[in-house]
Amino acid sequence: MKHNSQHPPKFFLKFFRWFCHPKLQKYIEGDLMELYDERLRQKGKRKADLKFVIDVLLLFRPSIIKPAEGYHHLNEYGMLKNYFKISIRTIWKHKVFSFINIFGLAVAMSICMLIILMLADQHRYDQFHGKRDRIYRILTKIPKSLKPNASSPFPLASAMKSDYSIVEDATHLVPGVGGDAVYEQRSAEMRGFFADQSFFNVFSFELEKGNKDKALTSPNAMIISTEIAHILFKDEEPIGKTVEFTNRGLSHLVKDGESTPTYWGTYTITGVIDHQKQKSHIKFGVLISASTITSLHADEKIRDMSDNWSEYSNCYTYVLLHPENTPEDLTRALGEIVAHKYTNAAELKGLKLIGQPLPAITPGIFVGNPISFSLPIEVYYFLSFLAFAIMLSAGVNYTNLSTARALTRAKEIGVRKVTGAKRKDLIYQFLSESILIAFLAMILAMILLQFMKPAFRGLWVNQYLNFELPENISVYFYFVLFTLLVGLLAGIYPAFRLSKLQPILAIQKKESSFSKKLGMQKFLSVSQFIISLFFITTSILIYNQFKHHLSIDYGFNAKPIVNIKLQGNDYTKVSNELSKLPGVISISASDYLPATGTQNGTALKIVGSEKDYLSLTVLVTDEKFADNFALKIVAGKNLPAFNQAADRFILVNESAVNKFGYQHPSEIVGQLMEQYNTGETFEVIGVIKDFRFRMPSEQEAIAPLMIYDRPASLRYANVKIAAANRSQTLAKIEDTWKRIDPVHLLDCQFYDEQLAETNQGLVDIVSIIGCFAFLAILIACLGLLGMATYTTERRIKEIGIRKVMGAENRAIIWLLSKGFLKMLALSIIVGAPVSYFVNNFWLQYFPNRVDFGIGTVLFGIFILMFLGLITIGSQTWRASKGNPADTLRME
Amino acid sequence: MKKYQLGEFEEVVMLTVGILYNEAYGVSIKKDIETRLKRSVSVGALQTALRRLEDKGYLKSFEGEATEERAGRPKKYFQITALGKKAMEYTKSTRDELWNAIPKMALQVKIV
Repeated sequence: MKHNSQHPPKFFLKFFRWFCHPKLQKYIEGDLMELYDERLRQKGKRKADLKFVIDVLLLFRPSIIKPAEGYHHLNEYGMLKNYFKISIRTIWKHKVFSFINIFGLAVAMSICMLIILMLADQHRYDQFHGKRDRIYRILTKIPKSLKPNASSPFPLASAMKSDYSIVEDATHLVPGVGGDAVYEQRSAEMRGFFADQSFFNVFSFELEKGNKDKALTSPNAMIISTEIAHILFKDEEPIGKTVEFTNRGLSHLVKDGESTPTYWGTYTITGVIDHQKQKSHIKFGVLISASTITSLHADEKIRDMSDNWSEYSNCYTYVLLHPENTPEDLTRALGEIVAHKYTNAAELKGLKLIGQPLPAITPGIFVGNPISFSLPIEVYYFLSFLAFAIMLSAGVNYTNLSTARALTRAKEIGVRKVTGAKRKDLIYQFLSESILIAFLAMILAMILLQFMKPAFRGLWVNQYLNFELPENISVYFYFVLFTLLVGLLAGIYPAFRLSKLQPILAIQKKESSFSKKLGMQKFLSVSQFIISLFFITTSILIYNQFKHHLSIDYGFNAKPIVNIKLQGNDYTKVSNELSKLPGVISISASDYLPATGTQNGTALKIVGSEKDYLSLTVLVTDEKFADNFALKIVAGKNLPAFNQAADRFILVNESAVNKFGYQHPSEIVGQLMEQYNTGETFEVIGVIKDFRFRMPSEQEAIAPLMIYDRPASLRYANVKIAAANRSQTLAKIEDTWKRIDPVHLLDCQFYDEQLAETNQGLVDIVSIIGCFAFLAILIACLGLLGMATYTTERRIKEIGIRKVMGAENRAIIWLLSKGFLKMLALSIIVGAPVSYFVNNFWLQYFPNRVDFGIGTVLFGIFILMFLGLITIGSQTWRASKGNPADTLRME
Repeated sequence: MKKYQLGEFEEVVMLTVGILYNEAYGVSIKKDIETRLKRSVSVGALQTALRRLEDKGYLKSFEGEATEERAGRPKKYFQITALGKKAMEYTKSTRDELWNAIPKMALQVKIV
């Protein structure tokens, strides 16, 4: 060859060979080569190459490209096309069955898709950290508690950084920053942490404004979120501005919980961070540079914890390992620290420090004292289990109906087999049909999902969990994968079953044994109804439990009370102003609201007694509290108005009287008590009647309680207002509040609503379980409908003949329904005891439980029977009404 | 009603195949059109047209010899079929008819 070294571009030649129709390839390639050869001689290699490429690209057109169906493998593509066509026709022909199948699958799939979305939502957290594979959060596990704590001792981060070479860097977030920042009359409430400069080295948070290399280096530096920056500075540039910060001890997690306001000085804004763009399990409104801590505890505004290894609940530690180190190295290092620091500490014996990889935090295991709320992985397991049960039920419907229809399709199968279809081909055909149905269901499910998403986001818990549920390509990929799986699994049994049919039997239309007995189908149907019954009973039960919680008698009168958060204002002033208003009956104050989830503890013992300290819940109130809440003093007197001499008086409740070992309340009055730790002495001045100060869902409804007066600790004003003109009174209160405190907005709520709100979690569970119950019964009924329709259709001639012979409608309905009624009866016989015992089992863990009697189960059975009978009845009724002349003529 | 479908480029290709008689294959057709009509023709466009004409039955092809500059690939020669000839004649006659139907005045407009 002359031009051996002169080849046209290889890639394009290969490309041409790949796409070109095999019949044309050698001729056109010949032409191309000839032209290339000529151009090479006339114009040189570069031009020739270029022209060649252009020619090849211009050849890429439909008439030259080989057909997509393939040239050599024509048969397989053809068959697939055929399968698809047949599937569409079958779906179209049996509209009722297809609808039942597609709708049932879609409903179940939408639930599963919602869970996929939830998981995908959670997996978006902390994806932006460049070093995320090397970041570990240190958990503290003490033997007493089942779950580890997300927090760890304060000195841990610095110890890890200085003593262990495996750690590249370590940072910690110290909660306790929560208060108001004021800038030119504008105030913003903010909650957050102290953090050091390593924060930006370990994590890859980016600042919207400000330089992240210097943002946390100097003392009194502050990074705020964009929302807070907007409240404080509107459109001004926040960087470099100074704000006055007053700490109110707001917790980074809970909405309430505050302490005496302390002025913390002025802070310079060094950064603004946008949490929307960086989804992380670490959420904060404000970060204050850790170097500020030193000056703050020098002023005794916060405690010094720099060498406090025994407290592990007030700091979150994150370490960054060197790339070459493994988690085992970290475990070993943590083990050493524990051995070094905790061998002598008796009460912390057995404490363990555990490294948790950053990607395993959301969704992650259930941890105590979390840095932000998230749904623990266990909940996902539970929800997935429920969704799986529903999905299984819908899959079973498909399997059932397809298998039951074997007879209808027997001829088709027979003919296919006779004309040479192998069993494999038939299996493919049935599978492609089920997958097609699954995909149609997926489309419907995505539509349903659009309705479910807002409902889910509206759940009460979501204000803590912040699910957004965005859809994106990778989620769709999982949807498709999931759909394929559903199609395959639902279709595999009928595919094997139907393809086994003997052609001779099939064509002769002899009923093979399985299509008559339908044993498997009955079993599956019965299990569906058992599951439905269980769900129904459970949701009724939880609903009853919820109602029960709402109707609980707390022992005090919450109805006319409006609680106003003092937000750092002096109670005496607020009380004086508000009591002047008409419509306000009386005002008292407390440090937290009983029975809404908060409680403080202390321990007392009788002075001079040998007995152990008795732990009590402690509530701070003023002297009007008891009257205001209509609490009865059973012995002694009420608290006196506060003065220096009166601060040693306390009230206790009846339960405390019993626990201290007194028979009668009057015996304890005048007794001196000594407080644990502080050694302060109190005198019991009166005994108050027991009332509930714990939430209904908590164990031990009534426990020992002491009440005393410390005006500095009061956080809430409890305003009792007259029933008439409530809204007017509220408006007046708001006006007055604006005069008292122009900075903070009035934060007031009706007490009874607040009490009801504590049960919101239960409402969510009711809605979720109720939704599952609804779906379970819906799908089970759809399945039943399909079976009933099929059976009646098959026996339509028999019914016709019976009617001609003189059978009554009633007899025919009975004849047709008998089998189904047996199934329903069987599922009730099995399902009722199961749901009774299982529900009773978990109900034991509920304090304040509603009594779960046979009534609830009977109600569940009634619903199940009612829906089941309607389903069966609709079909059998129709069949019995049919004119025999029509049905018998049909041939 | 269209009896014979022949596009403008297809007609050019048909005519060129006729001109080249027994020497009409991809490259020679391309070159001939390019030299005679001063228009560039891509291999893709030409092959598509040839394929379509062959499908319509206006052209038939036979395999020719393989030469060295074609890297051992055979040539595919084209010939006009009887149907092709009819199609060409039909196209020509319809054109002529149309030409004749134009009133003389219409063509003189340019001169005025």
